[in-house]
Amino acid sequence: MGLFEKQFEDNVLTTNVDWLLNWCRLSSIWPMTFGLACCAIEMMAVGCAHHDIDRFGAGAFRASPRQADLMIVAGTVNFKMAERIKRLYDQMPSPKYAIAMGACATGGGPYYKYGYTVVKGVDRVVPVDVYIAGCPPRPEALLEGLMKLQEKIQASSVIRKPIHTV
Amino acid sequence: MNFQGIYDRIRSIQAPGVTGMDEPREPNPQDKKDKGRSGDPYVLVDPQRLPEFLECLRDDPSLKFELMADLTATDPSKEDGYLWINVQLLSLVRKHRLAVKCLLPKENAVMPSSVSVHRGAQWAERECSEMYGITFEGHPDPRNILLPEDWIGHPLRKDYEFPEEYHGISCK
Repeated sequence: MGLFEKQFEDNVLTTNVDWLLNWCRLSSIWPMTFGLACCAIEMMAVGCAHHDIDRFGAGAFRASPRQADLMIVAGTVNFKMAERIKRLYDQMPSPKYAIAMGACATGGGPYYKYGYTVVKGVDRVVPVDVYIAGCPPRPEALLEGLMKLQEKIQASSVIRKPIHTV
Repeated sequence: MNFQGIYDRIRSIQAPGVTGMDEPREPNPQDKKDKGRSGDPYVLVDPQRLPEFLECLRDDPSLKFELMADLTATDPSKEDGYLWINVQLLSLVRKHRLAVKCLLPKENAVMPSSVSVHRGAQWAERECSEMYGITFEGHPDPRNILLPEDWIGHPLRKDYEFPEEYHGISCK
């Protein structure tokens, strides 16, 4: 927020403005269309009517990183793709978030030992906010991860001084 | 045509490079070490003459193996000095199949490319080349197909050592 960046004390005005800005952000997390392997099928299921990610305002899958807030890394990341992922993440405008969906994106998954080209977790390439376990995770698990991300955004401060918790 | 018929035909037209054949067999009850062999019968061919052999089988009117269904390699063990080249041939007209194998020494893994005979061999040979370090002489496009261009080593070899890092990303 440029000029007001995290420099105000807590008071009724700033907390309410912060709450409003956070609410705006968490209610319209637009993910990037980005599926790498079988987890992407579950991600598509989340987008469909039965699970309906649109209930959380995150249903607008964008085809360009420049319009996206959230990168759902859904699937196996190999070294050839890792550089592209870094590049796409760098192209996303701040504030930006990343979800590592499934065992492969979290830590290499079944390819951990013998996968010669699989990156052992996408957190070696981009900073990850939420990890989702499963191989692949159920659609409900992805929704749970999204809600965790919303909690994280709700706890952040845009114009207030950040709350230091131990 | 069954395998015996195909093999007899290969022998009678004197297809180049044939060194033998092998068929699945039952284990020998007297000899405990003889476990027998399962799987398909195959024809063993000299790798340096594989393209000629494939061309001969493609053009023969009663064999007509006009489709190369697959070309792969295997590395059976670290001690063994040979790579196996496995070729699966299919005849759509005659409705029969044939497995062809070649033994290629690891120290000098160079063999002629089969692209001039079967154009579908291009990608299969590129994959074999990057995964096993086999050089196919006369291949029109010998780049890597799956691995990055600057990848070091051949991952499906038994003596492959995992890299420490690739472009600053840790591999361990």
